[in-house]
Amino acid sequence: MNKRKGIGNVVSLWLGLTLASTVWADNDIAWHGFLSQGMMQASDSNFVNDSGDVSFKLTEVGVNLSYQISPTLRLASQAVYLNGGNRYPEGVRLDYLFLDWNLYSAETWQVNLNLGRFKNYHWLYSSTRDIPHTRPSIILPQSLYYDAFRDFAKGNDGAALLAQGDGTFGSWEFNWSYGDTPIERDLTTTLLGDMAGGRLEQIFDHQMSFYFQPRDSFSQFGVAFVNSDFKYLSSEQDAFVDGRANTRRVIFNYKYSAEFWDLSAEAIHENVIYQNMLFPGYYQELHSQGVYFQGRWFANSDLTFLARLDLFDLNKNDRSGEWLEEQSGGLIPHYFGYSDTLTLGVTYRLADNWSVQAEVHRFKGTGRLSPAVLPDTQINDREYWNLWAVQLMYWF
Amino acid sequence: MLLWPAQAMASDAQIIVNADAQVESLSQAQLRRIFTMRQRQWPNGLLIKVFVLPNQNALHQHFSKSQLNMFPYQLERLWNKLVYSGLSERPVEVYDEQQMLQLVAQTPGAIGYISVTENTSGVGVIKLAISEEGDDE
Repeated sequence: MNKRKGIGNVVSLWLGLTLASTVWADNDIAWHGFLSQGMMQASDSNFVNDSGDVSFKLTEVGVNLSYQISPTLRLASQAVYLNGGNRYPEGVRLDYLFLDWNLYSAETWQVNLNLGRFKNYHWLYSSTRDIPHTRPSIILPQSLYYDAFRDFAKGNDGAALLAQGDGTFGSWEFNWSYGDTPIERDLTTTLLGDMAGGRLEQIFDHQMSFYFQPRDSFSQFGVAFVNSDFKYLSSEQDAFVDGRANTRRVIFNYKYSAEFWDLSAEAIHENVIYQNMLFPGYYQELHSQGVYFQGRWFANSDLTFLARLDLFDLNKNDRSGEWLEEQSGGLIPHYFGYSDTLTLGVTYRLADNWSVQAEVHRFKGTGRLSPAVLPDTQINDREYWNLWAVQLMYWF
Repeated sequence: MLLWPAQAMASDAQIIVNADAQVESLSQAQLRRIFTMRQRQWPNGLLIKVFVLPNQNALHQHFSKSQLNMFPYQLERLWNKLVYSGLSERPVEVYDEQQMLQLVAQTPGAIGYISVTENTSGVGVIKLAISEEGDDE
């Protein structure tokens, strides 16, 4: 979808909802949205674009609507227009559209069932990764929030069960979801490269997570499990063949929230199995690992500083990437086997509902650039590379 | 030194609800569940409407820390997450305590807070007693 058409659709949607909200001037309907535009550059990689020039492909726009049908039933929906350059396919997306049914409600806990297209509630930032003012930085740690995987990590079409309570020992939250995500042609290219002429399909995505915050504690602990299957259906003109891929993830997370600073960390262990796909009989099992540590200092009510270290190894048995280089006959350099990043950022609140965010990233390795399966070794020919980004954001 | 007790009293928050909610007390856990938008209904089935003062307001900051055991930025972050992932709505923000009192009195199922020193007689709101954590369990 081209950019002009994409923006036109969002504007039409906006106007429609504005009119609708005037007509339904009712307490049971609420709507919100966000607008943001930024610029960024990664001169020695294809992270943003192939040229390495300064890019304005950092646009995130969205509008959402919530309609309380009855005390136990609610309809929620959000449409977004996203442009992140090479990071993920550009265009308008129906971000979520689901029925939220309160199945059970007691004094200290409740259970809700979401049916439809819902968000990924399982990781620390997965449910709002496209909402600029809710995330800690413009670019999230790629070990876990790998942008090429964004479209099927952001949520699913299916069912989600969410339980939350406050007990004697603290607050807890249990989330379960099962569904799949339609994969567009552009995303297949982002993941596999231009030589992939076929279609990638997600067969299912099954996730579970549990969070616990001890009573009167500043700490929160969480664990999430992911199991997902994909199949690839090749076309007549295709460098790939029919195949399957399975990914299983275990993610541990921790958050400490003090009055003037906070700490967050998420660690991921991922097991990926590829069958066929590259050629008949191809089989590869990879155990990837990643972790990030992030600290923020709230210098005052308007100013926040961020520092983060993100580490990722594509294969825990080949952390240096030498085996990868050897296996590919020298075609894939060793630094595609990892991606370590140091990030420094600042967020300044300009006014109510207005903020500006700026950050710099220093990368070692190219293991989290797209395409994911057959990497672009022509453009990404540096082990060390930098990225900077600035974004202005408004929300209501 | 004599000013301290008076100042402390003025900054304490009194929880108020609309008479239609038909409640007289809440536990601290319930209060937290209501202001974090988890509990959405009163025991009589009426939908809860939550009203808050602006983030920078001193009473809001005191209420958030002392009654909810949360820093205001945590509340703000949680509400944003709920609103932009479709999980729930955020509270309605009012300008000041006078508007808070007026809206809670007018809106069925409403809950909010004002300074303990604020006069509520004849307005039509109920002052809630908040029991200590664990009293309900």
